[in-house]
Amino acid sequence: MRRFITNPMINKELRQRLRERRAWLLPTLYLLILSGTALFAYYLTTDAEMQGGRREVQGADIGLAIFLTVVFTQIVALLLMAPVFSAGSITIEKEQRTLAGLLTSLLSVPQIWWGKFATALLYLLLLLSSALPMLALSFAFGGVEPTQLIRATASTILVLASISAVGLWCSATFRRSIHSTAACYGIVLVLSVVTAVVFGILMSHWSSNHILGMRRAEEPPAYVQAPLFLNPLYPLLSIMDDPDFREFIYPTSSWMLFAAMACLAAAFAMRRLTRGSDQI
Amino acid sequence: MIEVDAIEKTFRGGRGLHGFSFRLESNELVGLVGPNGAGKTTLIKILATLITATSGTARIDGHDVAASSTAVRAIVGYLPDVAGIYQDMRVREFLEFFADAFRLKEPRRSQAIQRAVEVSGLQDRTDEYVENLSLGWKQRLLLAKTLLHEPKVLLLDEPATGLDPLARIGLREQLKHLHAEGVAILISSHILSDLEDMCTRILFIADGKNVAEPAPTPLTGTAPSRIQCEIGFHGSPKLLNQALAGFPGSRVLEIKDGFLVVELAGGAAEASSLLRAIVNSGMVVEHFDARGPGLEERYRRAFGERLS
Repeated sequence: MRRFITNPMINKELRQRLRERRAWLLPTLYLLILSGTALFAYYLTTDAEMQGGRREVQGADIGLAIFLTVVFTQIVALLLMAPVFSAGSITIEKEQRTLAGLLTSLLSVPQIWWGKFATALLYLLLLLSSALPMLALSFAFGGVEPTQLIRATASTILVLASISAVGLWCSATFRRSIHSTAACYGIVLVLSVVTAVVFGILMSHWSSNHILGMRRAEEPPAYVQAPLFLNPLYPLLSIMDDPDFREFIYPTSSWMLFAAMACLAAAFAMRRLTRGSDQI
Repeated sequence: MIEVDAIEKTFRGGRGLHGFSFRLESNELVGLVGPNGAGKTTLIKILATLITATSGTARIDGHDVAASSTAVRAIVGYLPDVAGIYQDMRVREFLEFFADAFRLKEPRRSQAIQRAVEVSGLQDRTDEYVENLSLGWKQRLLLAKTLLHEPKVLLLDEPATGLDPLARIGLREQLKHLHAEGVAILISSHILSDLEDMCTRILFIADGKNVAEPAPTPLTGTAPSRIQCEIGFHGSPKLLNQALAGFPGSRVLEIKDGFLVVELAGGAAEASSLLRAIVNSGMVVEHFDARGPGLEERYRRAFGERLS
């Protein structure tokens, strides 16, 4: 265990990563985007015309609007960045022809994988934590519980860890960074869009059956939602304020699926690294 | 130190190893030569635990390379044909990373890094980024990194590729020094003159198999033995040509002011006859050196048919 914590790979990877120009460029862009969306959410909530003068806007409404906007924007932004950090991290060793040096040292394949994984995730966590003050802003307005923040952050970390593991698997499988990054983006796209489309088809089929049967409207069963369990945004739906909506969501199943996907991707990546050293 | 027995490695394209065997003792510096695609890199990769053999056995210091890869890595230093290097690290950081990767503990770690810096001659450049080093310095750094954990066996795949003559000489001297210190070295190279200068033995490989060096057979005339003579002289080259005329099959390889390199058919007796003929012709011989078939000639003998 100690070998994984004092892993020289982590030190090396962090050093190399933080020397790149994108090390400061990306957080700057990321925070600018989040600030923009938080401001947009604020004006949208407080704009009387937009609200149609229905009721007086309360601080809790503003707080929740900022919180949800920032949480969903940050996971989308981080999902777009995760493949960049993970999918190229092993292929770059192949492209630079440095992988042989690692594999013939006394570093084990799990240590190499862990070093790459931890660094990719740590950088995403750096971005995530840099947005925490913005999330804390919503507490100033009220309407958000600390448990919601914890759930949102934990779900985001789990999803990012899973996508990073998938990125590393792509990186261990392909020879070139461009191919592995494209493959990883393809997987993210399938998880984000295709699952939603399949859910939409199942839902419309289920709804039409229920309308035709003239039965009372009810919650769709779990199997209709099943494709969404692998959607990166799905676990975050459990932080929505609406209690009826919360009951409609199965976050635990989704968390378990993401954890399983991460474990599988890790196992395949390590297997590929062990057996596929002919790629060197 | 290294025992390879009937090792096979098959690839989809058909290339690989097909029953290659050899032994390398701890006091040897062995050169591995053969045409492109002969299996040299595959063999070295198997010994370096990077790929596994399809069949056969390979052992280093008694450890099976497939079954005890960690034990093998602890005693082997491997330098690949096109070795990559982390360009965005400083020289010291690069060495520190590999010292940690080989689990060197203090004070051995600091000592190994210091020694590596000194051996590679990079004392004044430890804070420089690797990308600023020339190819020759990078190769020195890579070799220094390969030696950090004081390996008993060195596996070098084309280590002199792309190096300028001075860097090549430096590498050769360093390898001779390591050999003198008792490190067993297996080196693959196409630069035969380098191998000839430093190796204690040469292994020939082609199509993944051992190639026996054909013995010279001057009587049958199928592979005539040849000898190379270097002559330093004073006198007219005309006289020299007259002397050489008596040696059918001789070939002038180099001639400049007072210096001649000539290749003769035959052996030591023919070389003596040539010396006698030159002296008898009235020329002054300042220097005469006759050498048996060089590695180039042996290579031609071993792979001549394949080349043609």
